[in-house]
Amino acid sequence: MIAVVGVATTAMQSSAAVTRTTKKAATKATATTKAAPTTTRAATTTAAPTTLGATTTTPAAAKQAPNAKPLVIAVATEPSTLDAQLVNDRSSRVFTTSIFETLLGRDRDAKPFPLLAESYDPIGNNAWRFNLRKGVTFHDGSPMNADAVVFSFTRILSRNFGTQRTSYLEAIVRAQKVDDFTVDIITSGPSATLPIQVTAIPIVPNNAKPDLGTNPVGTGPYQFVKWDRGREIVAKRNENYWGTKKGQVAEYRVKIIPDNQTALAALQTGEVDLVLDLLPEQKKLVPKFASVQASEFSYIAFNVYKKELSDPRVRRALNFAVDKELLAKTVYEGEAVPNQSQHLSKEMLGFNPDVKAFPYDLDQAKRLMAEAGYANGFTLDLYTPIGRFLKGEETSEFVAAQLAKINVRVNVIRQDFNRFREVSRIRGTAPGAMDLKYSWNSNEFFDGSRIIAHITCDGSSSKICNPQVDKLMDEATKTMNQYDRGLKYRTVWKLLNDDPYSIYLLQQNLLYGMTKRLVWEPRIDDEYFVADMITTS
Amino acid sequence: MILTRVRDALIVLFLVMLTIFFLGTIVGQPEEQLAPPDASEEMVQQIREDLGLNRPLVTQFGEYVTGLARGDIGESIVIARGESAMGLVMDRLWATMKLTVAGILVSAFIGVFGGIAAGIRPGSLFDRIMTPIAMLFVSFPYFWFGLLFIVIFAVNLQWVPVLADDRQFTSYFLPAVTLGVHHGGRLYQLARSATFDELSKSYVTVATAKGLPQRLVVVRHVLRNIGVVIATMVGWEYARMWGGTVFLCEFTFAWPGIGKLVTDAAKQHDFHVIEAGVVVAGLFVVLANLIVDVMLGLIDKRVEVS
Repeated sequence: MIAVVGVATTAMQSSAAVTRTTKKAATKATATTKAAPTTTRAATTTAAPTTLGATTTTPAAAKQAPNAKPLVIAVATEPSTLDAQLVNDRSSRVFTTSIFETLLGRDRDAKPFPLLAESYDPIGNNAWRFNLRKGVTFHDGSPMNADAVVFSFTRILSRNFGTQRTSYLEAIVRAQKVDDFTVDIITSGPSATLPIQVTAIPIVPNNAKPDLGTNPVGTGPYQFVKWDRGREIVAKRNENYWGTKKGQVAEYRVKIIPDNQTALAALQTGEVDLVLDLLPEQKKLVPKFASVQASEFSYIAFNVYKKELSDPRVRRALNFAVDKELLAKTVYEGEAVPNQSQHLSKEMLGFNPDVKAFPYDLDQAKRLMAEAGYANGFTLDLYTPIGRFLKGEETSEFVAAQLAKINVRVNVIRQDFNRFREVSRIRGTAPGAMDLKYSWNSNEFFDGSRIIAHITCDGSSSKICNPQVDKLMDEATKTMNQYDRGLKYRTVWKLLNDDPYSIYLLQQNLLYGMTKRLVWEPRIDDEYFVADMITTS
Repeated sequence: MILTRVRDALIVLFLVMLTIFFLGTIVGQPEEQLAPPDASEEMVQQIREDLGLNRPLVTQFGEYVTGLARGDIGESIVIARGESAMGLVMDRLWATMKLTVAGILVSAFIGVFGGIAAGIRPGSLFDRIMTPIAMLFVSFPYFWFGLLFIVIFAVNLQWVPVLADDRQFTSYFLPAVTLGVHHGGRLYQLARSATFDELSKSYVTVATAKGLPQRLVVVRHVLRNIGVVIATMVGWEYARMWGGTVFLCEFTFAWPGIGKLVTDAAKQHDFHVIEAGVVVAGLFVVLANLIVDVMLGLIDKRVEVS
């Protein structure tokens, strides 16, 4: 325990520093963004050096005339709506992230920085006060003020609205106008994560029209032009943008290309500039390849309520029996690394440097199995969703083959993602619960709190119950000091290592194909700001 | 009677609608698509309730049937919340229709001309080259040809763009040829054997023996007789396009038609949109068959439409 508490990472200290922000700090935060590449560990690319150079020159480039040739991004599924408050799927975010803005932005290291709010402070135990930026208008000309912010919060919090962004609304009760440019966000108790949460709550105009989903209006550097259903969605540069980061391309288009092979061909001819979700084997086929070690952690969760899996020794044995290095090298062609037995990487709040990846150790695994009385093994069902995660089905087969070596027979059950989600909510004790579940956990907030639904006793998809973990997670949410909060999460991961909740697999990379003319460094948090994208021709 | 055919067609359509309703409800859980990723069971149940999906299947089915009778399939649940499912399909209909027409023209060109030419002179060089190729066309998956064409003509030769735009003439080239290869291959085989069979009939022998030049025999007698068969086959292939091939082709070429819409809807279990897409496609299959039948009756008085 002492060792756990003893070491503080720089990431934690700097997170602690960000709780209070002033206008001056704003510039600082932007500066951190530019310096970020070292910490983002972009496992990039042929273009890494140019990317760094270009990121630094963003403001300069913005002063030049914008590039008239549109930037084209390919997505596989057409967004269901462009109302960023309503949904949070990637294909809609690719378009809306440059249209809507939030009170606070999130830099490449997931640190909040002032955006529509100039400064913010906690007030008492259950509120945060945000001082809004003056002189900002929405694309439709209406002013961005306290009314708009209160309306935005009321809208997204309303149950009838049915937002999918609920995980960002945790503990938020309502927004309250103080004066025209001051708003209090009321929380149900002390909420240390509120600043990072508001980075995912888009601000819309006061009394926004019901057609916001087909005609989005925000304050961002780009504004909506048209949505040609089935074909493309178009946005152009907002010439009245309040900020300095105006964006270098005059126009961007999100095209809907269902077939990955077709998208790749369009990239080769330059009809598309950016393709998401590239397959590892397509790396060499694209004009320019980029990848980033993302905040995506793959794992196979246990149902701890199942008799054979109730013994922590068995769960540790299963962790020892999987060769994660080999998995990363073969299935992912090196575009992943074993994660350190936690859904965090070292720059994230709560990362425990003393918790390490389970080494591949068959002898140890066999010994533990024998100790637990399962030398002859048992049979488990591993559920894996079809086509949801990059190489998810291959990984499941890989793990099944590995576990066979310690006599654990694994049936891989492929399921449609919707059915998979439905089944994964079945309680551990109830019949039909998944023995093993393959999934990815993303942590775009770089914060230990993100895992809560998976590991607490009544978490929506949790199949483990460790009262100590519950207590720590609860305390952490209420701990305003970021350093202390980080320590709680560290202890949680120590506990979840001795008593594993899953087979810890990999920290995944996100893979991109780009045209030669596009200069952009992918973000760890899977966000796509067109204003960060520079084209050279 | 044409009316009997129409009645039969309506029955077929109705059966299609029933099948798709039950398939949709068995496979789909649109509420999962609307619920946030970390939703609790209670939240998902609430969404089910809001959508009316928790009611007994019989009630939902009753509602569906009465809706159908009024021509109202319902609203999109996921992909364009609240919009009329049929409306969404109708918006895409034109793009798909244009592609099927381009596709059938290319198919008919390859199949009918090639097939007859090969059938007239079986064993000729043309026949020996074309017949194995047609076999290849039919047996390979056509979307594979689609990708191959993209790589050759769009990426390497750069004659046409990769991304299709139904408002641009050049965009039709690749998808139409892809459809043409598949359906044309089948038409080729059928037209070839029909010509071949017709040529070996005794009246042709008689005509040739009488000294009529072969060209005249073919044009005046053979073509007239096999024309009916070929028209039927072309109509049937057109129906088969609506039966699925055009939709997969849309997927490959990112064509903004019904196929792309229904693919999105299927991925997200938006079953009213799937139903609307299927009923429109079904309608075209039935219509194409009906037209073929009626045409046959007009061309060949021996066929009675009943």
